Amino acid sequence: MQLRPIAALAALALAVGLAAPSGPAAAAGDTIVFGSPVSLTGNLTKEGHLTQEGYELWKNYINAHGGIKVGGKTYKVDIKYYDDESKNDTAAQLAERLIDQDHVNFLLGPYGSGTSFTVAQIAERKKIPMVEGNGAAEKIFNQGFRYTFGVLSPAKRYLEGILQMAKAQKPPAQTVGITAASDAFSQEVAQGAAAWANANGMKVVYNNKYPDTATDVSSIISALKATNPDVILNAGHLQDALLVQKGLKEQNVMARAYGYSVGPDTPDFASSLGKDANDVFGGAQWSDAVKYKGVPGFYQSAQEYAKAIDAAYHHRADYHNAESSAACLAFQYAIQRAGSLDPEKVRDALAKLDVTTFYGIIKFDSRGINLFKPMVVNQIQNGRLTTVWPALTADGKPKYPAPPWGQR
Amino acid sequence: MHLFAQDLVNGILAGGILAVVALGFSLVWGIMNIINLAHGAFLMLGAYLTYQLFASFHVDPFLSLPISFVVLFALGYLIQTYLINWVARAPILTTFLLTFGLSLLMVNIALIVWTGDQRGVTTAYSGANFTIADVTVPWTKLFTLLAALAITGIMQLWLTRSKTGRAIRATSMDIGAAQLSGVRVAHIYAIVYGLGAGLAGVAGTLISLSYAVNPGMGDPFLIKAFVVCVLGGLGSVEGALIGGLVYGIVEAFATQLDFTIGTQHISGSGLQDAIALVVLLIVLIVRPTGIMGKATA
Repeated sequence: MQLRPIAALAALALAVGLAAPSGPAAAAGDTIVFGSPVSLTGNLTKEGHLTQEGYELWKNYINAHGGIKVGGKTYKVDIKYYDDESKNDTAAQLAERLIDQDHVNFLLGPYGSGTSFTVAQIAERKKIPMVEGNGAAEKIFNQGFRYTFGVLSPAKRYLEGILQMAKAQKPPAQTVGITAASDAFSQEVAQGAAAWANANGMKVVYNNKYPDTATDVSSIISALKATNPDVILNAGHLQDALLVQKGLKEQNVMARAYGYSVGPDTPDFASSLGKDANDVFGGAQWSDAVKYKGVPGFYQSAQEYAKAIDAAYHHRADYHNAESSAACLAFQYAIQRAGSLDPEKVRDALAKLDVTTFYGIIKFDSRGINLFKPMVVNQIQNGRLTTVWPALTADGKPKYPAPPWGQR
Repeated sequence: MHLFAQDLVNGILAGGILAVVALGFSLVWGIMNIINLAHGAFLMLGAYLTYQLFASFHVDPFLSLPISFVVLFALGYLIQTYLINWVARAPILTTFLLTFGLSLLMVNIALIVWTGDQRGVTTAYSGANFTIADVTVPWTKLFTLLAALAITGIMQLWLTRSKTGRAIRATSMDIGAAQLSGVRVAHIYAIVYGLGAGLAGVAGTLISLSYAVNPGMGDPFLIKAFVVCVLGGLGSVEGALIGGLVYGIVEAFATQLDFTIGTQHISGSGLQDAIALVVLLIVLIVRPTGIMGKATA
């Protein structure tokens, strides 16, 4: 009977691996506790960690500066995380656990539209406000949810800027080919880009999707290549962006501009691909070049924020960091204005929030999404991410058209 | 016509990799009746090993193939000897749970060591390609396919010709008779599991050339290995090869499928996985033991 202890051990290892909370235990009393299921493993691991960094940077700033004043009392903040393994159902279960067992005051969103959507349903049922900075699919906001707020510009805007930019160049781009992952966010990004192109006199010559777990996209690239578009867009996430960019080179697909919804903004894109990453465009929620002047209570400019991220995490701030910190800021200002930790009062304060931060304006429409902040376009130029659009925020000019493969 | 030929090439190139992914998984399953859920994690370790050798010492990924094999073989051998052999004859759920636990452990160790960053192995020749009759063939993928074919060939020869290979097949056919003929079953099991892990490592090396390296990268390949293995027939080398190629080609052609039902436009490429599974179902109905599988009692 040697197998029993081993089996028990395996089961135990399993249970520990699945359930180990990765944050400190919920504190009571003078602490506001936030809870967040976040992708610490799975296919959105990198983005999940960037999200967590954004949350942690805010938490550490607030606690180092005394805390948040609510009514007459000052509270420290704490954030409790669980790993949702990048899975939608797991995120929802963990959100339920954060509320029922850990008694968190509020929810900070997970990474991604899929997980944000399932967690939003829990927030709604439990009447606990959630602010999320990483789920841009409008599907989340078209359900009539009252307790979910998103600081992001919606998914359909992600690639618009790249098309605007390409259309303004000489010679102007006229045709566009789109590949998209099959998840809700990427689909909305692709639809938004196609709709913008059609409405603005560009022709969509290819628009197709691949499973978000795809391990090979060469056939979709072959079909895209056959339509010879001026602009090639990809709506997806970092992992598939890398797969697509390698695939484009392997099949020698030439376009005037290559744009991605997620990818180029994360340092991994350039570090993984080296020179092959050059001249690629990325739609971004934020960049360290934007020039907003925020209200006091946190880093007030994008540049100060970027410096703080670099000091804490030793990499360049990316928009996933910024939008995650912005979600925390929405809570910070709403809680202060509500003067209470009552979920209902904080919800109402969030609905009325209108504040400018290092990240831009945070203000929600009646559905809870932020339609008031523009997107920016970045381009990797000689290995460095440069903001090139809109011209007002830009710290460089777009390089267009892209040179042939092998000359980048 | 040109797209047809291109898709066929794409499918074969992708299928060759899937064959190597499935090969080790199939051997472990077919010979020991262990559904090795740690297979994806071994693959991931092989990919990281390649990445690290490439990033730190500029070792060409193709040169690191034998290194991946040896390191992962050793790891697999040790795991089988000191862990899985304790429960090898237990109900399948026990080994299922154990290998799942091992997988979680390895993925989390990788997260600590390499973080969740996406890594890439981008060589100087990465993306280089040539064109024949309008069909573009990337060199790296062609060499990956050739490596895959060579590995399958070597495995097949070794299993049928060498003494150890014959002992492995004997153990798989009748464990009692093999023991009576002097085969050390525990040792054979460890070799088979080591082979499975080693082949997963080799697959990881090949995959790192085109796919982003990260701790969770094994998951989609594990699922594909499962399908390829059932499709081709359990425990056979040629089954893994045929299954991999069929799967790769079906996926490639599924991408170009487009049809309209009523007002609903359906794109085949979003349904690649579903279409591949439908093909699996059809094969299982016609040949329940898989394309190359032998009938069992």
